[in-house]
Amino acid sequence: MSSFPTSRVNTTLEDSIPEAGASLASILCTEELERRPWRPPDFEKENRALVALMSGLADSPSTIFQTLADTILDITQCDSAGLSLLTRDGQKPDVCGKRFYWPAIAGMWNPHVGGGTPRNFGPCGDVLDQNRTLLFTHFERRYPYLMPVSPAAEECLLVPFYVAGEAVGTIWAIMHSDRRKFDAEDDRVMASLGKFASSAYQALAHIEDLKFQVSEREKAEAEVRELARGLEAKIRRLVDANVVGMVMWNLEGAITGANEAFLRMVQYDIEDIASGRVRWTELTPPEWHDRDERAITELKTTGIFQPFEKEYFRKDGSRVPVLLGGALFEGNGNDGVAFVLDLTEQKRAQEKLQEAQQSLYATQVDLARVSRLTTMGELTVSIAHEVNQPLTAITNNGSACLRLLASKNLDSEVLRRALEEIVADGNRASAVIARIRGFIKKVPAEKSELDVNEVIQEVLALVGPELRKNRVSVECDLRKALPPVLADRVQLQQVLLNLIVNSIEAMTAVTDRPRALVVQSQVEEAGGLMVAVRDSGTGLSSEPDRVFTPFFTTKATGMGMGLPISRSLVEGHGGRLWATSNSPHGAVFSFTLPPAGSSS
Amino acid sequence: MTGAPVVFVVDDDASVRSSLKFLLSTVGLQTETFDSADSFLHKKRSDVPSCLVLDVRLPGLSGLDFQRELAAQNICIPIVFLTGHGDIPMSVRAMKAGAVEFLTKPFRDQDLLDAVRVALDRDRARREQEKEMADLRTRFDSLTSREQEVVSKVVAGMLNKQIAAELGTAESTVKVQRSRAMEKMKAGSLADLINMIQKVQPPSQKAS
Repeated sequence: MSSFPTSRVNTTLEDSIPEAGASLASILCTEELERRPWRPPDFEKENRALVALMSGLADSPSTIFQTLADTILDITQCDSAGLSLLTRDGQKPDVCGKRFYWPAIAGMWNPHVGGGTPRNFGPCGDVLDQNRTLLFTHFERRYPYLMPVSPAAEECLLVPFYVAGEAVGTIWAIMHSDRRKFDAEDDRVMASLGKFASSAYQALAHIEDLKFQVSEREKAEAEVRELARGLEAKIRRLVDANVVGMVMWNLEGAITGANEAFLRMVQYDIEDIASGRVRWTELTPPEWHDRDERAITELKTTGIFQPFEKEYFRKDGSRVPVLLGGALFEGNGNDGVAFVLDLTEQKRAQEKLQEAQQSLYATQVDLARVSRLTTMGELTVSIAHEVNQPLTAITNNGSACLRLLASKNLDSEVLRRALEEIVADGNRASAVIARIRGFIKKVPAEKSELDVNEVIQEVLALVGPELRKNRVSVECDLRKALPPVLADRVQLQQVLLNLIVNSIEAMTAVTDRPRALVVQSQVEEAGGLMVAVRDSGTGLSSEPDRVFTPFFTTKATGMGMGLPISRSLVEGHGGRLWATSNSPHGAVFSFTLPPAGSSS
Repeated sequence: MTGAPVVFVVDDDASVRSSLKFLLSTVGLQTETFDSADSFLHKKRSDVPSCLVLDVRLPGLSGLDFQRELAAQNICIPIVFLTGHGDIPMSVRAMKAGAVEFLTKPFRDQDLLDAVRVALDRDRARREQEKEMADLRTRFDSLTSREQEVVSKVVAGMLNKQIAAELGTAESTVKVQRSRAMEKMKAGSLADLINMIQKVQPPSQKAS
């Protein structure tokens, strides 16, 4: 009965708590202690007990509670002795625990080690409630769950057990028979041992705690060390790899350290940095000082500054474009670190890309020109063949008639037939021309309201590379807020492109004066617009209008169709296109366009 | 010679065809017109001096392809090319392939008539040469094989005595065969005969 499993005992005990049992007073007999015969303290025995506890503490501190129980058993000559501790987790003493458990028991109740009772219903709870020593007799009468715990307790002396000034349990001694009765001396000795055990336990707990803390700290420190080692290695790697420039600085403008990559960028050596001669404030060209100021403001409020592009002076005074980002170190708020990326290659690549785009554009322009020429060429061949057939027939018939006439051999019937054929072929030729004209007319103009200035800007953007290539300066003299015109954007672009390209080509031979292109837009008195393209080129002949004759060209590569086509496009918009001489050099090509809504 | 010359005109344009016919008629030339290369090839042509006036740009077979086709079929007829627009590489190809002239439409009447005249003269000369060759061949073929043998050796510069020795006959026999061959070939002199035999039997053939 005494050795059944603890957990089952507990469950049974819990269940056996009745609504009401014997009163607390009826099981207490604490006053008896004072009334029982006094005996002198056995200090020798007590000292031995304390020594035993001390050596127990030294030898095997983890079993200090069992040593205490054994000592009490020995010193009070009782039948069972032990400890009850409040606990939550069943191991560590805890004032807020809801249960008592028995970590150590000596004597007859020893098999019950590890068992326990509820906090608020049992002799231990009563001791803690009253915070003094209590002597019970047959407590199972009030706490029936203790009834099966055998052997029954004739008398039980319980004294509070303090840890850090708080009662967290009891130590107790039990007599299972009336072989002897507890007295005041037992009470004193137990309290004394309890105090010692408490101190020992606390010391032990402290040591354990300390040990734990030390090991935890060591672990944490090791982790931090490991982390720091890793981090430092990473930072070191970053700095030494010289993939990016790293620079340490303070807000006063000093550079306190830099890696090889940074030094290479600005072409200083490590001695220059070490001497303190190199200051970031002086490495920065003046126009970037404002940007630096903004970064410093950002640093002071957020501790970091977002990466931005700037330039540094190299040692030789040239500039290097960089991307810069950084942060202040934690602490005094004056020192920081920054990474610096050399953007030279990127900028070069960007320029190359731009150049490539420009040359691509130039190729496109050339291609457009070639395809225009090809189309013109094909058209010419087709026209030539279509028109040549009737022309050949006409000249053959005419020549034949002339021959017969010369030999006075021309019969009037033959002549009539020949003339009929000549007329028919003449008609045929003009029909071919009409058909071609009709075909050309079929390309519909898509007119919309346009801002001519906008179209001028578009075309100037298009010929930008051409202008730069030929070192032609451009001046725009554009009247603001021009009234819109109703025009086909592509055709208008074509006219402007033609005039501007003509002007550029007219200036390529000029070497003794600036090559200046001026594009003007203005409003005429009648409300229409006038656009003028002026150049300082080779100029016009005495008959400026000849340039509008089809196939008239002064250029080696020209078709001589650009200006006639431009004129017909402008005229198609109800405007005029003409040429005059510019003063002192060059030509002016002007065209007008009626304002939108002036005519259909 | 045999009959009046004919000019064949191949052009896809009816007006051009009829006006050419009219123009050529003013110098008394007969003309036959065709609207394509094919119709020309399918026509049975009379055996008279002739030439071809051909538009380069033809539907179907182009003028230049047509020229190649004629050469492949061994039809020797001088060609005057007409073209709508002057294309130098094209004219060079045509002339290299034996064209008489390459005229750009519209052309001067005299240029065409001159070209046609040159073409017809060339064809006439070719025909005469062919006829002469045919006559010679006929006469040569009328010789006996022994006579042909003797003549070949005479032309090679051998003396009658040598020929007789080589053929194993009498010198007098060789003399008779030689004079008979001269007579049959209608050769007035030895030089004449040599000339004739060289035409009938080109030296390259003789060497074999």
